[in-house]
Amino acid sequence: MTQPLPLALAPAVPPSGLRRQLDRWFAPPEADSRRTTWPALMLFLAPALIIYAALTAYPVVRTFYNSFFTIADIESAKFVGLAHFAELARDKTFWAAVRNTAIWSAVAPLLDVATGLLLALCLYAGVPFARFLRVAWFTPVLLSYVVVGIMWVWIYNYDWGVVNAMLRSVGLGSWARSWLGDPNFALAALMITHAWKWAGFNMVVCLAALHSLPSEVLEASELDNCGWWDKLVHIIVPMLWPTLLNLYILAFIGKMKVFDLVWIMTEGGPLWSTETVSTYVYKRAFNWNTFDLGYPSAIAVVWFVVVVGFVVLFNLLFRRRERLEY
Amino acid sequence: MTPSALPAGLLTRWLRQGGLMAIIVLYTLYSALPFVWVGAMSLRTTLEISASHFAWPDVYHWEKYRIAWVDSNFAQYFWNSTLVVGAAVAIVTLFGAAAAHCLARYNFRGNRLVYFILFSSIVFPPQIILISLFQVLVEYNLYNTRLGLVLVYVGLQLPLTVYLLEGFFSRIPQDLFDAAKIDGYGDFEIFWRIVLPVGMPAIATTVILNFIQLWNEFLFAVVLVSEPGLRTLPIGIRAYMGDYFQDIGMIATGMMIAVIPVVIVYAFFSEKLIQGMTAGAVK
Amino acid sequence: MPTIRPLLLRGTLAVLSGAFCCATLSLPASAQGAGKATEPQTVTMWSHWPDEAAKRGFVEERVKRFEATNTQCKVNLQFIQKSDLYASVKTSVRTGQAPDIFWLEPDEIAFAKSGYLEPLDSHIELKNLEDWARSEWTVNGKVYGLPVEAYTVELYYNKDLIKKLGMEPPASMQMTQAQFTELVKKAAAAGITPLANGVGDRPYPGAYFLQEVLLRKLGPDDYKLLLTGKLSFTDPRVIEAMTWVKQLVDAGAYPKSFSTMKLGESHYYFHTNPGALMFPIASWYTGRAFVAPEKGGQPKGFPLGIMKYPALENSKCPECKTLAVGGSYVMYSRSKNKECAGKLLNSIATVENGTRWLEEVLLQTGIRSDANRMQGIWVLYFKELQERSKGAKFFVGTPLHYLSGKCADTFSQVLNRAFPAGQMSVQDAATQMDAACKAS
Repeated sequence: MTQPLPLALAPAVPPSGLRRQLDRWFAPPEADSRRTTWPALMLFLAPALIIYAALTAYPVVRTFYNSFFTIADIESAKFVGLAHFAELARDKTFWAAVRNTAIWSAVAPLLDVATGLLLALCLYAGVPFARFLRVAWFTPVLLSYVVVGIMWVWIYNYDWGVVNAMLRSVGLGSWARSWLGDPNFALAALMITHAWKWAGFNMVVCLAALHSLPSEVLEASELDNCGWWDKLVHIIVPMLWPTLLNLYILAFIGKMKVFDLVWIMTEGGPLWSTETVSTYVYKRAFNWNTFDLGYPSAIAVVWFVVVVGFVVLFNLLFRRRERLEY
Repeated sequence: MTPSALPAGLLTRWLRQGGLMAIIVLYTLYSALPFVWVGAMSLRTTLEISASHFAWPDVYHWEKYRIAWVDSNFAQYFWNSTLVVGAAVAIVTLFGAAAAHCLARYNFRGNRLVYFILFSSIVFPPQIILISLFQVLVEYNLYNTRLGLVLVYVGLQLPLTVYLLEGFFSRIPQDLFDAAKIDGYGDFEIFWRIVLPVGMPAIATTVILNFIQLWNEFLFAVVLVSEPGLRTLPIGIRAYMGDYFQDIGMIATGMMIAVIPVVIVYAFFSEKLIQGMTAGAVK
Repeated sequence: MPTIRPLLLRGTLAVLSGAFCCATLSLPASAQGAGKATEPQTVTMWSHWPDEAAKRGFVEERVKRFEATNTQCKVNLQFIQKSDLYASVKTSVRTGQAPDIFWLEPDEIAFAKSGYLEPLDSHIELKNLEDWARSEWTVNGKVYGLPVEAYTVELYYNKDLIKKLGMEPPASMQMTQAQFTELVKKAAAAGITPLANGVGDRPYPGAYFLQEVLLRKLGPDDYKLLLTGKLSFTDPRVIEAMTWVKQLVDAGAYPKSFSTMKLGESHYYFHTNPGALMFPIASWYTGRAFVAPEKGGQPKGFPLGIMKYPALENSKCPECKTLAVGGSYVMYSRSKNKECAGKLLNSIATVENGTRWLEEVLLQTGIRSDANRMQGIWVLYFKELQERSKGAKFFVGTPLHYLSGKCADTFSQVLNRAFPAGQMSVQDAATQMDAACKAS
């Protein structure tokens, strides 16, 4: 949403992206019906901001601070400057974790959102038993990671798991393997499990968004005799764009910090093939027998910057903030 | 080959529909079967399961639920979970909606900055802030209390809630508010009477999501509350998952018990969600 | 103007209900935490073993007797799973909130090095502890842990199955390299899994066989050098041992589900379903196996035998054996109840209790004990266990007691998981271990 800059602030040279962003953040307010008094603003914002400041901002700032120290004990913190970051650049396990997390975040969100949209379209188009399907497709979301992890460990079990049992029953027994124990397949197996859990959530959100679309447009397209693919690409997706982008960003962030499922199923997996940045952070902070908090804090800081960078990039590239007026 | 009596268009449509139905059935099996399997296992003893993993229970061991509930103190954990998660979800929804409304509706200096700050903390992996968080709770005497855990949970889910709700609220047409202002509504009343009802689908979605995530949360629950009488449900289930003999049967029962409230909350709130959805576009 | 009053009203209502909620939620805990000046000291004690009935019973009994004889000390005892206990304790030690006494294993000696543990020299009778057990917890001359559980790494086997294969262990109970290779090949050919390990949830069982072979090949001194990074993994003797193990792995020594099978499951795999030939595991095997079959224990009358690990040709110390301390109790250095905690620990450290541990738990202990006083149905098993250790030279500590940080992580992924699973070559494994562990 563009806001006109007051003339006094408008520079002679067109501002760069960052400058424009800052101007947008700090621009004085415009139209009257979108202004209100400070006390009212504070009433709305204060409760959230107070909790946020105490329980999120402080620990996060503390983590940033810790990343410049080696911390074995509360009393003894040794300032090491950028040493942790330098060591990070040489850390092979860290880069393995980055690679795995990057693969996951590149592939999975697209799959998640696409599956959610397609499922929602099925329901919207009116298949029989829609209500039952809506519940059945959403159940995986309701389960905790512990439950999902255990279930799928059983499903992937070499001796009696569902996957191998099915393969053996159709004569493809030679394809049966220890899915979570093989460095080549463990990551893919985890990705499938994670997608299984979240598809239903994306479906529900897309469904809600589909229902909030004005029906006239869809009817009009019907009259124009559009095929379903054209309808999808040219009408539905553009109209749902804010929702889809939101879902994509949420999925992206979720994959960038995935921890619970990996921890329960493989703990970083055979030969680091499922090590993610979050599991590595946890291991360094809690499992390695050194008590140093500084190094895992440094990892968290670097990763934070990376993820925020990506999200800002996505927003700049894809976000359209028009209000839907109809 | 005899030509088909049916027009080609109809045939392709049947094929496509048939294909669609096949996909839907397959996907439903893929989605729901693991859950059904766990349900079946929850009614069998571990010995039976070890003998044959996929069979349907022939003796329904309903007493396992009683055993889990009574002997493993599930009742206490259940109550704690309900209290903690219920309070946390209520608070985060209220605070989050208020903040989201403010950020979506009103212009003021630093609006986008506040939004960015709130949003960026979604990105932080919770494992690393655990220790600092622990320190904060100790300093405020909230360690080992349910209130402390509630506040931590609120802090955990606040960024996501604000993000989702702000996205939705910002798409509510301005005309609605202008009309309300003309009718003499104050800021708070606009929030209470217009935004909340209209935004109910989004709010229902965040309630469901928050409830699910917090009901199943275990890292913070393990570390921040150590008093056994105050522990939450995920801890109870993990008691069966010792490095001892994996009591698969009891684990399955524990899982089912843990899932039931989530299903109830989902059933209730998804009705609101659907009502909101099928009420049509905001006019 | 007309909006102020309803606003105020609602605001007050909200604040009041919020305050009420806070009061309810924080009430129970605060009532417990209220300061009591003349009340007895309450020692908080966290232990592992929530689902190991024998060990749990032992600890509970000790605590009960302590409370009976020390009325000014009360104990708040909790049993928590190891992973949760560690997560909790590692967080809380940094902020002064850790329990007074908690359970720890010697591979977490970093706690002592970072100053979180109280030296026990002044609290307990050190002479009631075995020397080797004391040494596992000694840092800078001070003892930091009470070594309750101890174990040796044994090679259990199924007597009936080995007879069925037509091979019996020699009178010395230690096979030669050639004999053992033949045994593994025969078992694999007959469809019986030779070694029933699983590394799904532990960072060490897969390496048991390799480490024992290495210990016997190198002798205790060089083995220690290997574990402290002063001997390279590319040393010809190490390579020879690893090559032989790789040979066995390729012949099908480990189960196909090795990578994902959990520790508890591997016990079951060995003695019940599908049943394996041998089980290289520590002597705490009894904790899971010597219980009722419905709870995962051995079937009644299971023909359990104990062998010695095979020795390679030209092994320096074929009679060597790994002995290690397991679960121990430590005291928090910032505890406010050190007096009572110290008394509690001291009450556990008696010869009588050591013997009780032997009888009830069927496992070795780091407290001095008198095995000759043992009674009970499992005496025969214990006698056989002692037989196998007669004349043995003990090496104290498992690899993870010596390795830490990146080296420990690599050990767990390479020597424990990938190498026995047949996913790595000998050269690769040795190079990776060297890269991570070589002391600079």
